[in-house]
Amino acid sequence: MKRIAVRNLRLCTKDCLCLYVCPYGATDTEDSIIDASKCTGCGICADACPSGAISMVPEDYPPQQVKTDEVKNAIEKLAYSRTLAEAKARRAASESGKDGLRRLMKAIEGSSRLVAEDLMREGRYMLPQSSNALDLTSALLDDPPSKDFPEESAREILSRIRCNDRKESGGSYRCSVCFTEFTADEGETPICPMCHASGKDLETI
Amino acid sequence: MKYICSVCGYVYDEEAEKIPFASLPDDWVCPMCRAPKNLFVPEESEAREPADEPQEAEEYHDSRKLSPGVLAAIFSNLARGAEKQYRAKEAEAFTAIAAYFTRHSDSGDSSSPEAIRALLSDDLSRGYPDLRKKAAAAGDRGAARVLVWGEKVTRMASSLLERYEKEGEAFLAGTSVWLCTVCGFIYIGDNPPGICPVCKVPSWKFTRIE
Ligand code: SF4
Ligand code: SF4
Ligand SMILES: [Zn+2]
Ligand SMILES: [Zn+2]
Repeated sequence: MKRIAVRNLRLCTKDCLCLYVCPYGATDTEDSIIDASKCTGCGICADACPSGAISMVPEDYPPQQVKTDEVKNAIEKLAYSRTLAEAKARRAASESGKDGLRRLMKAIEGSSRLVAEDLMREGRYMLPQSSNALDLTSALLDDPPSKDFPEESAREILSRIRCNDRKESGGSYRCSVCFTEFTADEGETPICPMCHASGKDLETI
Repeated sequence: MKYICSVCGYVYDEEAEKIPFASLPDDWVCPMCRAPKNLFVPEESEAREPADEPQEAEEYHDSRKLSPGVLAAIFSNLARGAEKQYRAKEAEAFTAIAAYFTRHSDSGDSSSPEAIRALLSDDLSRGYPDLRKKAAAAGDRGAARVLVWGEKVTRMASSLLERYEKEGEAFLAGTSVWLCTVCGFIYIGDNPPGICPVCKVPSWKFTRIE
């Protein structure tokens, strides 16, 4: 599995051993972020770093564990009730004139969100690269729940993240919004290069 | 006889302590996690099964459509995932979508401490036992892990609300509220605990609620 080096800027002491050892100059950058396009994943820098600041992270992630429908359903029910508690606590904190109650409600708001996040991570939305996460994002972009939905962010996600458990077959597409024809590589989410349409706005040709 | 804290697992051994558990004052709390006395269970019954079969709780949730609140949690969690993979741009985009759904989440009619506690009690009496049963049937240990942390954290939150209903502002005055940023455990005290009694991370993972 291909790996690349990433530097944790908080741990890095700028001792610069990694600059000396990288055969491709990938560690020598103006913003301290290792250049992923030069890194071959040899791992020499991670071994040399005295601060444990460099991790070798996989470029691709394996598919998530499959959940049964029963487990998924029980998880979603709990997450629903926890996020309802979160919203109530948020409102209570903002409306409370009492300092103790306000702080307790803020804690319950934060706690409920953490518990709900953990539930949904287990309920099949663990990996940004999973088809669940990307399909959800693209369904929201196709049919935004309201006008203020941050469509730009959804497009950004779809164009930057490659799905790990479904191979887009790649090929040629025609955009039904602006009629641009374009091709997408295998594994890449097709997005119109002119108007950024995606999903059901594209036909394969 | 031994009594076990259902939040952190601390064992109160009557023989060693020389004071019967029942004689401890009502405001006695767990020395580890400050859970109240009523969250302790006698040792034998620790693995107690819920008295009744958990009822199917279909009436309180239609899972075909994810609520804005759940979508907010999904996207803020994906933002964490992207951050752990050092993908700052993607994390930012997921965070923007999470913030959108947080703004649109619905808090229902009442937001009183009683209404919130009713919701948590329902999770503890039905939601968690139901998930426990389904996870065991499927041999799903990932789901079992979420359950163990979430249930303890929820128990603590619910008991703090109960305490607030009884004692009001008094027990929070002049002290701090701490939140474990990993598991969501809430702790009341001047300083955070040395390690989180639920998920065992060190004290610097706690944040003080301002
Ligand atoms: S070797 Fe490690 S500590 Fe030194 S500059 Fe490189 S990443 Fe930073
Ligand atoms: S893993 Fe190898 S190629 Fe990549 S930055 Fe480190 S030393 Fe350079
Ligand atoms: Zn305890
Ligand atoms: Zn914790």
